[in-house]
Amino acid sequence: MNTVGILLRQRLRRDRWQLAAWVLGVGLLALFAAAAIAQTFGNDADRAQILALAIATPAILMLRGLPEGSPVGAFTYFSVFAFLALLATLIHGAIANILMALAVTVGFIIGKLDAGGSLCAGVAVGAVGLSFLGVGLVAAQFMRTSRGANGTAAALVVAAYIVRGIGDAASTAGSDPLHRVAGWPSWLSPIGWGQQTGAFVRNNYAPLAINVSFAAACAAAVFALQARRDTGASMLPVRAGRADARASLRTSLALGWRLQWPSIAGWSAAGAATGLLAGSLANILQAAGGGNTSLLNAVRSIVPGTTQTPTQLIIAAMFSVVGVLAAACATQAVIRLRQEEVRGTAEAVLAAPVHRVRWFADYLVLGLVAVVLVLLAAGVASAASGLAAGAGGTVVGDSFAAAAAQLPAALVYLAVVSLLFVLVPEATVAAGWGLLVLGMILGIYGGMVGLPQWARNISPFQHTPVPFGVNTQWAGGIWMLVIAAVVVAAATLLMGRRPLHSG
Amino acid sequence: MNDVIETRGLVKRFGTVTALDGLDLVVAAGQIHGFLGPNGAGKSTTIRILLGLARGDAGTATVFGAHPWTDAVALHRRIAYVPGDVSLWPNLTGGEAIDLVSRLRGGTADKPGYAARKARLMEAFELDPAKKGRTYSKGNRQKVALVAAFATEAQLYILDEPTSGLDPLMGAVFEQEIGRVAAAGATVLLSSHILSEVEQLCGKVSIIRAGQCVETGTLDSLRHLTRTEVSFAADGLGPAQLAAIPAAHDVSVSGGRVRFTADSDQLNAVLPVLATLNVAGLTINPPSLEELFLRHYGDGAAPGGAS
Ligand SMILES: Nc1ncnc2c1ncn2[C@@H]1O[C@H](COP(=O)(O)OP(=O)(O)O)[C@@H](O)[C@H]1O
Ligand SMILES: [Mg+2]
Repeated sequence: MNTVGILLRQRLRRDRWQLAAWVLGVGLLALFAAAAIAQTFGNDADRAQILALAIATPAILMLRGLPEGSPVGAFTYFSVFAFLALLATLIHGAIANILMALAVTVGFIIGKLDAGGSLCAGVAVGAVGLSFLGVGLVAAQFMRTSRGANGTAAALVVAAYIVRGIGDAASTAGSDPLHRVAGWPSWLSPIGWGQQTGAFVRNNYAPLAINVSFAAACAAAVFALQARRDTGASMLPVRAGRADARASLRTSLALGWRLQWPSIAGWSAAGAATGLLAGSLANILQAAGGGNTSLLNAVRSIVPGTTQTPTQLIIAAMFSVVGVLAAACATQAVIRLRQEEVRGTAEAVLAAPVHRVRWFADYLVLGLVAVVLVLLAAGVASAASGLAAGAGGTVVGDSFAAAAAQLPAALVYLAVVSLLFVLVPEATVAAGWGLLVLGMILGIYGGMVGLPQWARNISPFQHTPVPFGVNTQWAGGIWMLVIAAVVVAAATLLMGRRPLHSG
Repeated sequence: MNDVIETRGLVKRFGTVTALDGLDLVVAAGQIHGFLGPNGAGKSTTIRILLGLARGDAGTATVFGAHPWTDAVALHRRIAYVPGDVSLWPNLTGGEAIDLVSRLRGGTADKPGYAARKARLMEAFELDPAKKGRTYSKGNRQKVALVAAFATEAQLYILDEPTSGLDPLMGAVFEQEIGRVAAAGATVLLSSHILSEVEQLCGKVSIIRAGQCVETGTLDSLRHLTRTEVSFAADGLGPAQLAAIPAAHDVSVSGGRVRFTADSDQLNAVLPVLATLNVAGLTINPPSLEELFLRHYGDGAAPGGAS
């Protein structure tokens, strides 16, 4: 018991900053969500209208979960619960989940939501996290490597999310028009159980007993498996790989592709999913007559320009998310350079006849290819889903124009992070992701929370052209391309003088 | 020019730490050159500069008469390198990593020839090439790097503590490979912090300490610097008998054992006397680098420990 205590203390010490950041971040997210919803959708009629729209759109129910009426607490829970639950699956440890539950509760209460409902919502988030803690521990028993275990656990989280989504999309009408009853698949998913609390409306804790028993069952299974298992050897053997490399693996570019294609595929899939949603949402809003002015206004605060149709407005707004995905993908491509350097594998390449500038340029080329793939995936998906949902042929052109418009901001990130890598290698990872989050907050959410224009202008995303309407401002995009080119040229030049910094 | 590697007054600082403090190192063509120094002496730093992975702050370094930083790509076509701490890509198998490095080095133009060399080395080092990089032990990672280095012919082999993770059996395979490439005329720079490791292989040795070269020469010329420690059971041996042992220094008897040290080049005179005394439980410890430093430079290993 004593050793467990010591281990626990060590682990808490090691992870304390990460944990604190997560818990604080989630608490703030709950607070902001509550505040933003109260501000943007202040009156009941607005919320009812949006819920009616959502209920008519299985895609939204699939992403968000089920509404239980239009009071502001219930509406907030509908808007953010699935997302908070997903975040909860990412942290590990029972204490971490308890803290997370507290953070959500406090966030909602400070956001002026009803205390009883806030507590129920917080406990539901924590209970979902606890269930996936159990899933992760069981996965670790079957997988030999922590990477494999994490991958399996992540896949199970996605599966739980989708199963619940299918159940919610197949929901049936409830007691009133703004109330839905989940289909049976939702009851197969820990996230679904959390949703069934009906926080702020029913505050029913009973479904959470399933989450807790599920976690307990997982823990029992782990102890049973542990007893049968030698340390280090797991239940499933590691698959043998290739004894010889494919003929194509012969350059540093090919190596970069080999290392990065899974994550590029992941970003592209996210781009495609966002595009899919953009195309289908756009048409639904159009069909609803674009009558929901508060929703349109909320969307407009993200997208500059005034002359678009509601369809174009939604496409432009959704593609600002695609722009962030593309920029994230670019950032990650450069961060790979740093990871290769720190791990020491860059040394193996650079001790062979490969020039350091060539090696650097290869990763930038890969970053460019990745960005283009993400944008293409989003454009194709948006066009296809728009057409399938019955929008006119213009949706195709609109989708690709919106995708192309995201390129400059993503390339600015590629360039700036690559310069960071050359000049301040130790800061590449933290500063790279930090700049991305900063750009996102200032450029995309800045309009919602009313930041001054000069602050919003710092973000590349603020200068992304909106390629619709009569007087499209292309200048911002062109300037960003010029800046990206100049910064990349400088970084490449400086890379010729830069030694390896493995530390 | 007959010197493959030449550094003059090479200096490298990391912040306040001076890793290389005016290092002079000369390696002639065709030599197997031992590069000896305790942990933290600056061996890996020197090697990184010779490979153009880092730059010196002062002094000069040339490899094949060219500048290791500006002519890196051309030089690397002639060099095989095994790093001190081998890192592999977690998701590439050992076989894939070997093929990739060999292709980057242009060693696979003759496909069947390369396949044969790879297969031979794989068997000699008993390496399973189908395992992912992240599953290899330190010793197996070392083997992957060694196979990649020896599968492509080079004119210069730079090996940074290549046997540190290998078991003795594999050490023998390694020595065989070094013999093979040396016979073909290649130059070898072999770093180590263990004196006995380079003793068998290296015709010439440079010893560095705190970033400076303190001794360089053939091993025979350095032999006077080292003393071997001898001990055996005291069983009834009297002081007179012990005094008769030639060339013995610091003789002591404690815990039932006799201990003394002898100059390494005098050992041949000592052994026959021990045989006539019919001693039991004889152990002979080769001198360690640390003892050598202690004896000749008045201190132990230079500060540090990181390699
Ligand atoms: N990247 C680095 N940053 C800071 N100090 C370093 C770095 N690399 C080496 N050193 C320091 O330089 C000295 C020489 O190290 P190294 O060349 O690795 O020694 P060796 O290979 O002989 O063990 C040590 O004191 C080490 O701590
Ligand atoms: Mg070293």
